Amino acid sequence: MKAAVDAWVEEPLLRFVRDARVRLALVLEASGRVLAQHGFTRSVDVMSACALAAAIQASSAELGRQLDGAPFGSLHHDGSDRQLFLGAITTPGGLHLLLAVFDDATSIGLVRLYFGELRGRLAAAAPARVASDAVTPALDEHFERDLDLNLARLFGRL
Amino acid sequence: MNAAPWLATLTALSRHRGVLGTLLVSERDGLAVESMVQIGVNAETVAALAASLHRKARLASAAAGYGGVHFVRLDAERGHVLAAGRDDLLFVVISESRANTGLLRVELIRAAAGLA
Repeated sequence: MKAAVDAWVEEPLLRFVRDARVRLALVLEASGRVLAQHGFTRSVDVMSACALAAAIQASSAELGRQLDGAPFGSLHHDGSDRQLFLGAITTPGGLHLLLAVFDDATSIGLVRLYFGELRGRLAAAAPARVASDAVTPALDEHFERDLDLNLARLFGRL
Repeated sequence: MNAAPWLATLTALSRHRGVLGTLLVSERDGLAVESMVQIGVNAETVAALAASLHRKARLASAAAGYGGVHFVRLDAERGHVLAAGRDDLLFVVISESRANTGLLRVELIRAAAGLA
């Protein structure tokens, strides 16, 4: 199983997983399209997690704008056994998200610490988005096709 | 225990010679509840890593059959990290090499005993 669709995401994500000791990790675009994963065994779980993470980010960013004038930077949910961290990463290629699930092998403090390093590495490694004067639609024209393609690459169907 | 005794303890520890920062940290979360650090010391980073260090020392001690950990001391090239806690809360001190670690140890253990 591959860890990343795009090579520039793979090394920073694997390093984050190793340092922060998280169980599951996903890097995705703000639209919900997956770029890299660690710890998932089924593509359907990746697809669901990406869709939910993108929706949570969109909601919390808007809530942040309403309450604070700017999107919230990250979100932490403390469950009974597992905890969830969702953080936004701005790169030259646009807004990306990290979703991480962890247990008591680590802590939210460590996850936040290494997320800061991951953010820097991804911002440095990400290819710049091609500038365009055209109005960008909320979802890419080929979003669904690309989503399926990325999942197939990650789970060895291509 | 309300916030005032924590602040008094952190202040007292901060006044020792060579101390660069004192923190009250949640071991489970790795987050600082209160901190007093000098400029240039990243309290968030120290809190996360010191909590992890204490937790691992606690687990190692338990695995070896030695019971709970009262005090953790890390000697580095240019200073020390000291930690003592009770339940989920830890007092953490970071200091230069010249600090009197014996005195700090006594005060940290005494402060940790007051955490409830």
